[in-house]
Order: sequence, then C-alpha cells, then structure tokens
Amino acid sequence: MRAAASLGRKFRAIFSAQLANMVAYRAELIIWMLSGTLSFIMMAIWISQARAAGGEIGGFTEARFASYFTGTWVTGQLLVVWVAWELDVQIRLGNLSPKLLRPLDPLWEHLSNHLGDRLVRAPFIALLACLPLLLVPGAGFTTDPRVYAAYLLVVALGLLIRFLIEYCIGLLCFWTESATSFSEISWLVYAALGGVFAPLQLYPEALRRVARLTPFPYMVNLPATMLAGDAAWGDVGRGVLVLLGWAAALGTLRLVMWRLGLRRYGAVGA
Amino acid sequence: MWLFLANSLSAQLEYRANFVGSVLASFGEVAVGLLGLVLFFGASDRLGGWTFPQAALVLGFFMLAESFISVLLQPNLNRIAEQVRLGTMDFNLLKPVDAQFLVSTRQVNVFRLSDAVVGLLVIGWAAPRLPDLTWGGALLAALLFASALVMVYSVWFMLSTTAFWFVKVQNVTELFNGVFSAGRFPAAAFPAWVRTALTFVVPVAFVTTVPAEAALGRLDAGLALWSPVVALALLAASRLFWTFALRSYTSASS
Repeated sequence: MRAAASLGRKFRAIFSAQLANMVAYRAELIIWMLSGTLSFIMMAIWISQARAAGGEIGGFTEARFASYFTGTWVTGQLLVVWVAWELDVQIRLGNLSPKLLRPLDPLWEHLSNHLGDRLVRAPFIALLACLPLLLVPGAGFTTDPRVYAAYLLVVALGLLIRFLIEYCIGLLCFWTESATSFSEISWLVYAALGGVFAPLQLYPEALRRVARLTPFPYMVNLPATMLAGDAAWGDVGRGVLVLLGWAAALGTLRLVMWRLGLRRYGAVGA
Repeated sequence: MWLFLANSLSAQLEYRANFVGSVLASFGEVAVGLLGLVLFFGASDRLGGWTFPQAALVLGFFMLAESFISVLLQPNLNRIAEQVRLGTMDFNLLKPVDAQFLVSTRQVNVFRLSDAVVGLLVIGWAAPRLPDLTWGGALLAALLFASALVMVYSVWFMLSTTAFWFVKVQNVTELFNGVFSAGRFPAAAFPAWVRTALTFVVPVAFVTTVPAEAALGRLDAGLALWSPVVALALLAASRLFWTFALRSYTSASS
C-alpha cells in the first residue's frame, strides 16, 4: 500500500513536469497533428468513390465514410507514440545511464510524457474534428455519453498497447542500431490492419482474418466505429477483453526485455 | 559533387543495419499505396476513372519522387536548420562555391535509392498492362517528371530556408510529407475542390499525376506547358527567398 502511494506521488511529480514540457512545445505539436493526413486523404477518396458508385459502397454513404474517418483520425491522434525514438537516442548515446539512478523505472517518465501531450492535444483535436463533420452533410458523432465513457476506456487501453509495442521496439536498441525503422513498420501494420485505410468491413476476407489475430482492429476500427455511433455493445465488451489480454502480454514482454537489455547495457561498460 | 557522393557513401557503409532499415521503409511506403489501391479496386473497378495499372503508374512516380526526396533533399535541407542553430552555416557562406549549391548537395543518403528501385518495379509491372503507353508519351512523362522534381526541390528548399527565422523547422518538412502523400493516388480520385487545391495551391498533382497522364497520352497540352513554367517560377522564388534569408542571417558571432 505504501509502495503504491509512493509510486503515485512520484508519477504525479513527473507528470506535471512533462505537462509543462508539452505546453511549451505546442506550436510544434500542431504541425505534427496536421501532418497526420492519411485519414483525411482516405476519407476524400472514399467519399468521391461513393459518389461515383451512386451514393454508397458496401453500405457506406458519404456521411458514414466522413464520420468513420474522422473517428480514425481522432483515435489515431490519441494513439500517437514516439517512445521508440526517445529510447533509441537514450540507449545509443548513453543518456539512459543517469536515469537508471532514479528510484523509478524510466517507463513512467515516458508514459507521463505521452499523457501530458494528450491533455494539451485534446482541445486541438476536438476543434479540427469538427471541420469534416460540419463540411460533409449528414456526418456526425454519437451523442450518447455512455459511448464516450467506453471510448475513453478503449482508447486508454489502445494507447497502452501502442506504447508497450513501441517501448519493446525501442528496447531492441540494446541489440541493434536500426530499431527505429522497425517502429515505422510497426506503425504501418497498425494503420493497415487497424482500419485507417478503409472500414474493416470493406477489407478482403483474408486480410480481415489476419487483422483479427492482432489487437489493432480493436485499437482503431472499434473506437472509430463507436464515435460514428455504429458499434454494438457486445463488440465493445469483447474489444476491451482482447485489449486487456494483449496489454498484459506486452507488459510482461517489456519487463523481460528491459531486464535482459539492462544486463547487456551494463556489459558494454556504461 | 562526386567527392561529396564518395564521402557520404563511405560514412554510411559504416552502418550496415541502416540498409536493412531503409529497405524495410521503402517496402512500407509502397505498401501504403498498394493496400489503398487493393481496397479501392476491391470496392469498384475504377478509381476516379483510372484503372488499376494506370493508378499503379502514379504510385510508381510517387516512389521515384520519394526517393529523390530521401536521397538528395532530406539529408541536406534538414541540416540547414541545424547549421543555423549551431552557427556553422558561416562555414558554408565563406567557401568559394555558391552557398545554395553547397547546402543542397553536401550529403547523399544512398540507401534510400531502394525507394527508386521499388518505384521502377511498380512502373515495370504496370507498363506492359497499359495499351495506351507510347514511347513518345513515356519521353514526355520523363521530361515532365524532371520538371516536377525541380518543383519539389524548390518547395523543400524554401521550407527549409524558413529556418533562418524559425530555427526549428524539421516539422515543417513533416507537413510537406503529409500533403505530398496525397500524390500516391491519381488526382482524379479526389473530390473536385481537393483536386483543384492539389494542382494549383500545392502542386502535388504535377509531380505524380501529370507525368502519368502524359505517359498514357491523355494529358491536355495546357498542363504540359504549365509544368515547366511553374517549376521555373518556383526555382526562381527559392533563389530569391534564399538571398533574402541570408540578408537577415546574423551569423554565429553577431
């Protein structure tokens, strides 16, 4: 109990520092947000395709496409993770060493850095998301507050999984120099199988079957569908269970890699 | 210039793992485009009036342009910001070579030629499946693509030159990438107002769609003439902007 309270206090201290850090860099943050254009590119093309096909494709009208892709953009923004790049720099240049002296796993500092960013980012996300929803007639998000509560849970789990995956990739730096290129590939797999390119219903059956073996559909497609107001509660419940399972597995993997990596890091004389 | 090339090559061969990394990144880039195409053509048989091989041709040009950016532009122009910040820009200005040439050609990221290889593979796959393709069209496409690369260089150079005022501009080029990634798909696939923006506000359509249209012999003469005009105008603008920026550069010591 005392240990948990002490961890909480340490985390709060780090979190407020990281939040101040993020507020200072907000101009940069807006540029990064605007560069995440894939959702909007896909939205524009699918809307235009739906028009050419006479109003809908596979049950998706212009308005539904607009709601869905705005949902993937919002979710994608909430799941942005760069911890692999930071670990890459810290491990290669040895900046990690002083952090090891602190009485807290560096994981918490990185996590609070990302959470602080989300708080600063949230108002901008809300503003930008209004644009496509107002521009495309009939598009809009759900008004059910319960869905938003469930959305926050699903996205929090999704963020945790993205974070742990990227953390493991970053830890690969203990063994190889090109860990960050794996990070790009991992983003791509997440975006492709998650449903950033199209609603998963429009994917070929084979690809969908592969996607279901991963946590990604529950990290992008599910929350985006929830925002668009098309998700069934049964799917949400199953999604949360799947995400919890993945989070536990990846958390364990992270811990094992961290222990093994540190032993190796010590061995090169740092 | 050959000297710069040789120097970059020997420095990069030190990091062999990066080679694996850049090959992976190239396949990633092309996978984004191909997956998009597979999904669009799974749902209907035309993408804004283009067939699959025609759209693949656009993707091929996109990969070639990406390669140009990552091999030549990114390693050099992103350094401008760093040099302004650290004050080492002074060394460039002191050398008896044109400074714009110097900051634009110093480094070459050879590994990202893998983008070009992938792009050529895609074009090679598409070409035999395109009955409209002619040698004349292909030649015109190559010329228009060269003029498109001049545009890309000028825009990148101007974005990087803003470093003289804003210092931290790596992100600005990220913004460029965000807009430019729309060039993976034929401009006709977008709704009309987006298409207009992609042609005249940010000339993304000139880089990938226009050369592909030329190769297919369906380009209207107006756009073919506009491409070099726009390219030269942008190049001149980048030159003017550079001299203007240098005037406000206060160097490291003052």
